[in-house]
Amino acid sequence: MSDGDGFEPTIVVFACHWCTYQAINLAGTSRMKYPPNVRVIRVMCSGRVDPQFVIEAFKNGADGVLVAGCHPGDCHYVNGNMKTMRRTVMLEKLLQDMGIEKERFRREWISAAEAKKWVEVVTEMVEQVRKLGPLKLAEREVVMNE
Amino acid sequence: MSSEEVKVEGACPTDEVRIGVYVCHCGLNIAGVINVKEVVEYAQKLPNVVSAKEYIFMCSAPGQDLIREDIKKCKLNRVVIAACGPEMHEPTFRAVLEEAGLNPYVLEMVSIREGSSWVHYEDPEAATEKAKDMVRMAVARARNLEPLEKMSGEVKQRALIVGGGIAGLASALDLAERGFEVHIVEKKPVLGGHAARMGQLNVEGRKVSGKDLVDYLVKKVKDNPNVHIYTNAEVTKVDGSIGNFTITVKLKPRYVNDKCTSCGKCVEVCPVTAPNEYEYGIGERKAIFLPFEGAYPNQYVIDPETCTFCGKCVEVCPEGAINLDEKEKEITLEVGGIILATGHDPYEPPVGEYGYGLSPKVITLHQLKRLLSEDGPTKGELVIDGKRPRNIVFISCVGSLGTTPNANQYCSRMCCSASLLEALHIKEKYPDAQVFFVHKDVRTYGKDENLYWKAIDNLVKFVRFEESPKVTVGKGEVKVEVEESTIQERLVIPADLVVLVTGMEPPKEIEELRSLFKVGCGGDGFLKEAHLKLNPVESLTGGIYLAGTATGPKSIAESIVAGSAAAAKAASLLSKDTIEVEPIVAVVDEDKCSGCGICVSICPYGAISLEKKEDGTRVSKVDPMLCQGCGTCGAACPSAAIQQNSYKDKQIIPQILAVFER
Repeated sequence: MSDGDGFEPTIVVFACHWCTYQAINLAGTSRMKYPPNVRVIRVMCSGRVDPQFVIEAFKNGADGVLVAGCHPGDCHYVNGNMKTMRRTVMLEKLLQDMGIEKERFRREWISAAEAKKWVEVVTEMVEQVRKLGPLKLAEREVVMNE
Repeated sequence: MSSEEVKVEGACPTDEVRIGVYVCHCGLNIAGVINVKEVVEYAQKLPNVVSAKEYIFMCSAPGQDLIREDIKKCKLNRVVIAACGPEMHEPTFRAVLEEAGLNPYVLEMVSIREGSSWVHYEDPEAATEKAKDMVRMAVARARNLEPLEKMSGEVKQRALIVGGGIAGLASALDLAERGFEVHIVEKKPVLGGHAARMGQLNVEGRKVSGKDLVDYLVKKVKDNPNVHIYTNAEVTKVDGSIGNFTITVKLKPRYVNDKCTSCGKCVEVCPVTAPNEYEYGIGERKAIFLPFEGAYPNQYVIDPETCTFCGKCVEVCPEGAINLDEKEKEITLEVGGIILATGHDPYEPPVGEYGYGLSPKVITLHQLKRLLSEDGPTKGELVIDGKRPRNIVFISCVGSLGTTPNANQYCSRMCCSASLLEALHIKEKYPDAQVFFVHKDVRTYGKDENLYWKAIDNLVKFVRFEESPKVTVGKGEVKVEVEESTIQERLVIPADLVVLVTGMEPPKEIEELRSLFKVGCGGDGFLKEAHLKLNPVESLTGGIYLAGTATGPKSIAESIVAGSAAAAKAASLLSKDTIEVEPIVAVVDEDKCSGCGICVSICPYGAISLEKKEDGTRVSKVDPMLCQGCGTCGAACPSAAIQQNSYKDKQIIPQILAVFER
């Protein structure tokens, strides 16, 4: 994946096992098409996603990060996704302060049945990030606590 | 569990990581798109990979042999399988590892089929590149996977059934007959739920009422020595997890003990009244009352909300059965499994919706069922406002299918059949009655379709609407205006009685229920099944099963089926002495833990507690049987002291970094 013309972004996805990961499976078994730019990391609950993981992804070269879990009220672990919501609301602000455009970080609730939504979210996000170009966080004037 | 190294069977020396990568063709499912050879060659070059192989079907017997032999020959201590996702074959390959002498948890499966070949088939090159990335990420994660000890817990071979309605009774009976001890906890003072109030049912060739079914089940249940019944009782606390729950039950005072002979003298002197909830608000009852004739327990009860505690009933009771000083009691039950048969509430239209509450001529289906029941307030005679109605208009889907702003979006399943049954009942009893069935749809599904045809034969007039009808309540007059969508004409029907065909809603206390039992709800607000098709009577929480209308609208027959199904599922748990649980639980590194307690507050299962060490400092302790393995504590811990097995930072972060190590 090269920079400049024909730039293809890399999107790191954190998907919960019970909802979004199953939606990804369903998209597979339904032979739906979506851009091959996503790299999925499965966790049992989106509540496991430490904000540090998102920062690590951006720091090491991700052009976008998607955290996806069960719909509010539908969490396999009672309310793990509500914790994700709280953490990511804070994280969104932090990322924007770091100069990371808001389109590059997304939180989505995608149920096991919503393969279509998975495809739509990923397709839209890849398009948006492609337009923004590579993130190149290291080259930006960002103070990071290394 | 502590931080000290546990000796685990099949564990490998961790100084040298030796990984084997096995890429499956899945016939042409993977190999038809992805260049498997290229992926294997790529994997061979990754650090710590000592063997990488491909095979047409890794899950087949020869495929499994290949992995087993390789593990031994190459002295592997980690295995990566690039094939389908973990759902289907993780157990298969874990067994392969075990047979080859490896710990089953040093396996990582990566789904290059669902995640690549099946979705990027139009771009084989990109699919192959993605597969390589996925394998590299899996290898990075596998490098730090640790052997885990299998976990098992004791099973208490008893069940708790919450709700003594028809589904709960069916579950209780099935379990008790299989020899399990069963505790039924019913919130109301009597068993039977809504089914006992449902009047006549659609049973071909026989006159059967809901009460008959309830009576049959109650008799069998109360005579079974394995069953313990607690009415007027509520679960207030649930501790523990699958196989081993501790339940706290509050026994509310009934104020009347079992010396009561139901003579009724107390009712005569009781000075206060309240709307009778057992007749769905038709008529009134006293503060001391018998919910209904032949209820179990057949014993009066005082509603403390209504009662003024004047003591008149105590004076007249010939048996001395009334004690106004009775106090609340608390008991604890130790059970292995729980069946939630917590039922539904009938939809209650807001005042003014289709004229409801503005005229006695507008009633709900539930109220009609009571009026037409022989044990009802009018002994089965349809009398409205002192007169027998001639023009009777049913309006269907009240509270369902989004017909009004207040309505639910779903179809309530049983109301079409239940109301057409009553329409026929009316036609049979009063042949001169004119019955209109104003509907959006008629969904008399399955065997109930006969009701629809019978209704047509019996001249019930079907009026279809797209736009919800309007009910106007004038001076003693009620009119239903509707745009008939088939003939496209506006009809105005003067009505002596309007029956709002009301559906089912989640019970009001559903929020408390779900947080008490840690179960999920679906978008419709009912309790959620683990899988709509594969696990329809299991909740997402281990050891908790769901029966009856707790998961959504059901007929009485369907509720009984669900009750029996939940009992069968519970029995397969309760018949075991111990159960194995996934060891992907949280573990604490006591040296890093500062005892701040953030994890304690964040754990949805109350699995973490703070413990004082000898030196006076506090550390977090995880109860591995309570921990369900979500890992949210790991995300919250400020010092990375608490970590989830197999999803530790040292397993996830290298996976993130590996994305970019192209």
